[in-house]
Amino acid sequence: MSNADELLRIEGIRKTFPGVVALDSVDFDLRRGEVHVLLGENGAGKSTLIKMLSGAYRPDAGRILAGGEEVRIHGAQDSERLGIATIYQEFNLVPDLTVAENIFLGRQPRRLGVIDRKRMEAEAAVLLERVGVNVSPRARVRELGIARLQMVEIAKALSLDARVLIMDEPTAVLTSEEVDKLFAIVRRLREDGVGIVFITHHLEEIAALGDRVTVIRDGRSVGQVPASTPQDELVRLMVGRSIEQQYPRERAEPGAPLLAVEGLTRDGVFHDVSFEVRAGEVVGVAGLVGAGRTEVVRAVFGADPYDRGTVRVAGAPLPRHDVNAAMAAGIGLVPEDRKGQGLVLDQSVEENLGLVTMRAATRGGLVDLKGQREAAARIAAQLGVRMAGLGQQVRTLSGGNQQKVVIGKWLLADTKVLILDEPTRGIDVGAKVEIYQLVNELTAAGAAVLMISSDLPEVLGMSDRVLVMAQGRVAGELPAEQATQDAVMALAVSAPATPRTTPTTTEVEAGRGR
Amino acid sequence: MAADTHPSTTGAGGGAAAVRRLLLDNGALTALIVLVIAMSALSGDFLTTDNLLNVGVQAAVTAILAFGVTFVIVSAGIDLSVGSVAALSATVLAWSATQHGVPVGIALLLAVATGIAAGLVNGFLIAYGKLPPFIATLAMLSVARGLSLVISEGSPIAFPDSVSHLGDTLGGWLPVPVLVMVVMGLIAAFVLGRTYIGRSMYAIGGNEEAARLSGLRVKRQKLAIYALSGVFAAAAGVVLASRLSSAQPQAADGYELDAIAAVVIGGASLAGGTGKASGTLIGALILAVLRNGLNLLSVSAFWQQVVIGVVIALAVLLDTLRRKAGATPAAAGAGGGGKGRQAATYGLAAVVTVAVVGATSFLHGGSSPSANPKIGLALSTLNNPFFVQIQSGAKAEAKKLGVDLTVTDAQNDASQQANQLQNFTSSGYDSIIVNPVDSDAASNSVKAADKAKIPVIAVDRGVNKAAVDALVASDNVAGGELAARTVAEKLGGTGKIVILQGQAGTSAARERAAGFAQGLKAYPGIQVLAQQPADFDRTKGLDVMSNLLQAHPDVQGVIAANDEMALGAIKALGAKAGKSVQVVGFDGTPDGLKAVEQGTLYASVAQQPSQLGRIAVDNALKALRGKKVEETVKVPVKVVTEANVAGFSG
Repeated sequence: MSNADELLRIEGIRKTFPGVVALDSVDFDLRRGEVHVLLGENGAGKSTLIKMLSGAYRPDAGRILAGGEEVRIHGAQDSERLGIATIYQEFNLVPDLTVAENIFLGRQPRRLGVIDRKRMEAEAAVLLERVGVNVSPRARVRELGIARLQMVEIAKALSLDARVLIMDEPTAVLTSEEVDKLFAIVRRLREDGVGIVFITHHLEEIAALGDRVTVIRDGRSVGQVPASTPQDELVRLMVGRSIEQQYPRERAEPGAPLLAVEGLTRDGVFHDVSFEVRAGEVVGVAGLVGAGRTEVVRAVFGADPYDRGTVRVAGAPLPRHDVNAAMAAGIGLVPEDRKGQGLVLDQSVEENLGLVTMRAATRGGLVDLKGQREAAARIAAQLGVRMAGLGQQVRTLSGGNQQKVVIGKWLLADTKVLILDEPTRGIDVGAKVEIYQLVNELTAAGAAVLMISSDLPEVLGMSDRVLVMAQGRVAGELPAEQATQDAVMALAVSAPATPRTTPTTTEVEAGRGR
Repeated sequence: MAADTHPSTTGAGGGAAAVRRLLLDNGALTALIVLVIAMSALSGDFLTTDNLLNVGVQAAVTAILAFGVTFVIVSAGIDLSVGSVAALSATVLAWSATQHGVPVGIALLLAVATGIAAGLVNGFLIAYGKLPPFIATLAMLSVARGLSLVISEGSPIAFPDSVSHLGDTLGGWLPVPVLVMVVMGLIAAFVLGRTYIGRSMYAIGGNEEAARLSGLRVKRQKLAIYALSGVFAAAAGVVLASRLSSAQPQAADGYELDAIAAVVIGGASLAGGTGKASGTLIGALILAVLRNGLNLLSVSAFWQQVVIGVVIALAVLLDTLRRKAGATPAAAGAGGGGKGRQAATYGLAAVVTVAVVGATSFLHGGSSPSANPKIGLALSTLNNPFFVQIQSGAKAEAKKLGVDLTVTDAQNDASQQANQLQNFTSSGYDSIIVNPVDSDAASNSVKAADKAKIPVIAVDRGVNKAAVDALVASDNVAGGELAARTVAEKLGGTGKIVILQGQAGTSAARERAAGFAQGLKAYPGIQVLAQQPADFDRTKGLDVMSNLLQAHPDVQGVIAANDEMALGAIKALGAKAGKSVQVVGFDGTPDGLKAVEQGTLYASVAQQPSQLGRIAVDNALKALRGKKVEETVKVPVKVVTEANVAGFSG
């Protein structure tokens, strides 16, 4: 069973945390020159498994073999020695050091005890060249966008002579263009004989890049299948049941306009943005990352100021830069950065659900805690939030359940216009469908939904109308029937009518996750 | 993690398990219990009702300040200004009521308004001015301290009697400060747990942006949060001043750090989002138990600070470790890893216990029961050679006479000294020697000792409004006159001089300044160019003198209210010292006398500090044996110059 091409083998791994079995009898193996996809819902145990390989956790039972020999990985040094490098979703880079310094952090080439900058930068340049990214070794990491940060991480892994490269959802924050580039690099590494463990939620990426797939469900490995397996089958393995329809949009009859935005402009960021959303309607906002979509909806919600234009809810104009006025008018925002802006992570489910309604539940300075608890319990049950209890910290919930909590707090406030910014990013298939159902219920009840998403199939599948933004302007609007991937992309990359006076970057690149 | 799909089910198994769980869940409470057990094992005086009430009184001011700081820390801010704001509020109360005849009720309101105003300014700078809380409140720390000195003109102001009752006891046993602490604690717990602003604090501290996007008016809330902290600071200031019967402009100096320590020991995170009033109370009690216990055990004043620092670190470490062990459930089935960590927590607790018990029993200097009379010496500070010499004189005499002498160091903090005196009284010392930080502020504690029929000797500084058996002192006013005369005569009756004053608000500084002024009256040819305080401190003396030299390069003489400042001034003068500029100091410390020998210091008005210590112990022993003692024992001062320095010894 020992195979010359085998880099890693994991047998019967078990890991428990207090009160929780995270992994149980998981098997996995990795060969030279393959992309092995790890597939599973959030909370299935994928992260725990890769942390075991990077030395962050130790298994309670089972064994890990590297090159046919049993090894113990007790820390980052051990995994580095074994040639295992991990690229997490949160990068381990020091923002104020240069690219070269980050690549060689702690291992800078030295001459007479002084860091040999010239050699370090030359070596870094070679590595960056190999990764195929056009960035100066002397650039500061702080100045780089997310895609390039990822490339720097990969270069760093190469500098360690990694034979095993683990990538945790590397495509989650990239635009489709950047994803193509990443794939090219991964394919090149595969040709060089590197074994790659690839975690993703995007099923179409599996066929495009992967060789084999190991599916993990509830802490167990439930199957190993070739990457050519049909998506339906992968979903069934992952969720444990088949999902009838990935985008179950039920269209409601559109009513009167609820949200009307006219000529909204913030100089240098977005220009002359006009649109309206009717009751019972889902309007999708597509576009490349950096097209100004998030900035527009934040301005509509009053979180950020704008220079010109008007925002009306049900005909009444809203004051500029006033979150409370927007809320009072019935607007709610589910922000893009769930953990950074949507949740108070160390507080309980109950506290988070009650955040928006707390003011309304206050009489004479006292919060009606009992009423808040009852409301939270009701909405948590309605949304099917999977939790140990209302007192559980939201930090310990899975991504999908966290997102339900964010949406839940707006539902409690009787929101009429709900703005969803990347509502399903990093969320597994099962939870996605539940969130779509929720959108259906909202529109059926007469609310309006404005949904930003970089996931094109999602925009096309769930929207009644699609608004496409490019470089801070509305490039076009498509009714659902005419909205195809090609049509949307054509608009998204279209040059705006009046070119921007200050082009920022030649490459369109994602901001740092904001 | 699959935490949400596998809810942990923890079963509490009986009462013992519940207690164990409570302790494991609350590292600070465990630390407090360990401390109390250790202290009661080591000192028979610790676990008495009287002493425990003492601990409560001593914790009260820190605890009330800390409750206010809890609000701020929970909302991810910091408030460094609470100590100064407390002093300012108390000063405003005393100034308006005592000096301007404002009705006491309105004066109280004014004090609270002062606290609110200071808090609002903090909040405004932070919320609207976008200053980091550390900087905004650091600025307020300085402003409030300065204003309280301005208002009081540097002297303590007597507190109105009706408010001073807040420092008394209720029904003869329940100290009012403890009551106020409990009430403020309940208010804090209520605010944090039940009110809109309280719940907002957790949300803002946990994630300010999420709170803002959920419709919380974060800026307005911050104003209110810092204002609340100001109210609690004002309450603490009033309690502190009423305990001392006087509003001290220098009161509560450095208390903000105690308050922050109490909050963090109590389990709050400086990153915000967590913290409880009960935890803060426990934190304040830990600090008070430590100080009280170390006093009772006669641990050397210097070692006390080391021990306190170590215990603060250990208490927080215990809590951090407990948290890291995660929500390690007491229930079985958690697997081997959980058990190991639990064992580690117990292990650490055991190590802490052994360390505390070991250290304190090692450090407390053999106060094993003996027939020797016990005398307590409460010094204002040991950060100054003069007082160190009082201590060594007293110690030598005590050894000779077979007396057990315990020395405490109040670090120039009147309320800490009140605590130390209280500890002497409650643990039944035979006699007390006090070197008051402030003559007014010591009166309540001395009255209590009088009531307990313990003879009290004052040394170096007197005690106002309370009976002492004897005052052993050199005459500061006469000494000041002597210093003025010495410098004037050296300059031949005409010349330009500057005066370096002592720490504003201390009696020694006031009396010596008065002496200088009186002495100089006889010499109209002497022109005083400037009078500036340098806080009895050598470094400050150097800085202030350097600054004055910029403005007055033609100065010919310097009078410093102590030798330390004189030595600083000499450093600033460089080669001029002793040549073109004549410096006169005060105290006759060893360093000062050395400078006289070298000729850089022209003269020092020498007290004889070791004589002060020696004579104080003599008198204390006489008094406790019922012999008659003189009401004032004057230890002579004399001017030491190069001519007579060889024959002089402190």
